[in-house]
Amino acid sequence: MTGVTVVGLVVAMVCGLVVGPTSIGTWRVVGDVFSHVGIGHSTLTGLQSTIIWQLRAPRMVLGLLAGAMLAVAGGTYQGVFRNPLADPYLLGVAAGAGLGATIAIVDVGSGVSTPTWTPLLAFGGAMIAVACTWLIGGKGLRSNAATLILAGVAVSALLTSAQTFLQQQSSANSITHVYLWLLGSLASADWQSVLLVVPYVAVCTFVCVLSGRALDAMSVGEDESRSLGVRVSQVRLIVIAASSLGTAAIVSAVGLIGFVGIIVPHIVRLLVGTSYRRILPISVIFGAAFLVFCDTIARTVMAPSELPLGVVTAVIGAPVFVVILSLRRGSVR
Amino acid sequence: MSWVEVDHLSVKAGAATLLSDVTLSIEAGTWCTIIGPNGAGKTTLVEAVAGLRRVASGSVQIAGQAIGDLNERERARLVSLVPQHPQVPAGMTVRDYVALGRVAYHGVLRAPNAGDHQVVESVLERLSLESFAQRDVATLSGGERQRMVLARALAQSTMVIVLDEPTTGLDLRHQMELLELLKTEVADCGLTIIATLHDLTLAGQFADRLVLLDQGVVVVDGPARDVVRSRELSEHYGMNLRVIDVDGSDVIVPVRH
Repeated sequence: MTGVTVVGLVVAMVCGLVVGPTSIGTWRVVGDVFSHVGIGHSTLTGLQSTIIWQLRAPRMVLGLLAGAMLAVAGGTYQGVFRNPLADPYLLGVAAGAGLGATIAIVDVGSGVSTPTWTPLLAFGGAMIAVACTWLIGGKGLRSNAATLILAGVAVSALLTSAQTFLQQQSSANSITHVYLWLLGSLASADWQSVLLVVPYVAVCTFVCVLSGRALDAMSVGEDESRSLGVRVSQVRLIVIAASSLGTAAIVSAVGLIGFVGIIVPHIVRLLVGTSYRRILPISVIFGAAFLVFCDTIARTVMAPSELPLGVVTAVIGAPVFVVILSLRRGSVR
Repeated sequence: MSWVEVDHLSVKAGAATLLSDVTLSIEAGTWCTIIGPNGAGKTTLVEAVAGLRRVASGSVQIAGQAIGDLNERERARLVSLVPQHPQVPAGMTVRDYVALGRVAYHGVLRAPNAGDHQVVESVLERLSLESFAQRDVATLSGGERQRMVLARALAQSTMVIVLDEPTTGLDLRHQMELLELLKTEVADCGLTIIATLHDLTLAGQFADRLVLLDQGVVVVDGPARDVVRSRELSEHYGMNLRVIDVDGSDVIVPVRH
């Protein structure tokens, strides 16, 4: 299964570079990529090279990072909370980032929009929201997972209502901007945004993947896993911190892309079984491929305008999930 | 030698006192069964011995080490638990489930080593679980499942095993089989067993020592044969209990008024 997923990733990456309004032959693009590592010569014009390396490549790489991070964060949340409905936004990341971005985008008092602050405020909002959830939920050390989830629901509700209030007070133009941000997009991707999120995604993905064995042991419940020698509170703290930090970094760069974090780990679980030692690393590859593939569709189907990425992830992901689920049920029978 | 020391242990849940000033000293290689009516505090006591309950006062020591001072990994190498309602993660194989008993040794970051695999295979063989080692845990029958949970506890290689109603949901034959299996392990490996049981006949026949608990307090503590014949047993169960000798074994039966 790992081999198939890696092939899918390579295909998605090639699509991400090749497919677009300006037609550039697949083999010429591939040849150009190889020429950058000293194999052969590029046959692309200067403009074509700019399109590939300044527009499509950073967008594709940011898509890989976002897909990988959201999928592995969703998988670890589902494991640590033993809740199949958990996604990376469970503890308030989405609501906090949404409020932060809304504050940056809407005309508050002065009437000046500050979209350049949007990633910073979104990141800050997300981290503050998770910190509040952690503190309200009894620091997750003495409380159980359900208390943390409920604290996340409360914090999300509060921050979402504040965001709604701000939107209600702002202009129609601002509301449109907020709405577009909430739907998530890779349209503004550049190498700078890639470099900003790479360290977060690298470290957080590594920590999440490493937690697979602990999450498998925790699948027997909190008390039983403690009796087996798992330091449940520490594992929970580390996993939540890594997932939330990585997700906040991604959300600050690309907005709220829904569905990837919940559906990809489920699809992978149906394909490879219930062990998080397999689910998490394969979710990284599958999530990366899935999001790049969806983004390629989002930016080409209605070109020159773009479909919201969250819509495409849902439209593609839901049927795929249903098909795999029914195939699995058939094989079980 | 006293292996498990419960010293003036009290456990509270909010304003309610679940255990009050419980003191027990259990010798190595002893099978001690905690009996008592519903709500007596049996589960609380075994969970406290396993280090899963915060104690209000007093302490639990195993092999001279205070359980409350140890972290989860250190504790899991001293005492293992067979819970009353074990959670069985569907999709996991029996072998992987039993191997969870080795987490305390290899940790959650490292893979099990050859020694861990050897322990797991040995336990699977001893408990006749090899033939379905690759089966999904969710497909096991009640008896097979309880044997698997016991195997996980044995894979922890601890000298003390606490069991909370291990025969729950099993038919008579499987109850006897499980307890006989445990008795063999006690005899072969010198394990110390602390178990709760509702069935007084089985409790009396398998345990070396019985502790009658009621409302969080130890009422009677002594050799199984004496405790099942004690006046307090009927009193605290609130019913008329008779002991019948069948081929040298005690059978405890309730008598209708």
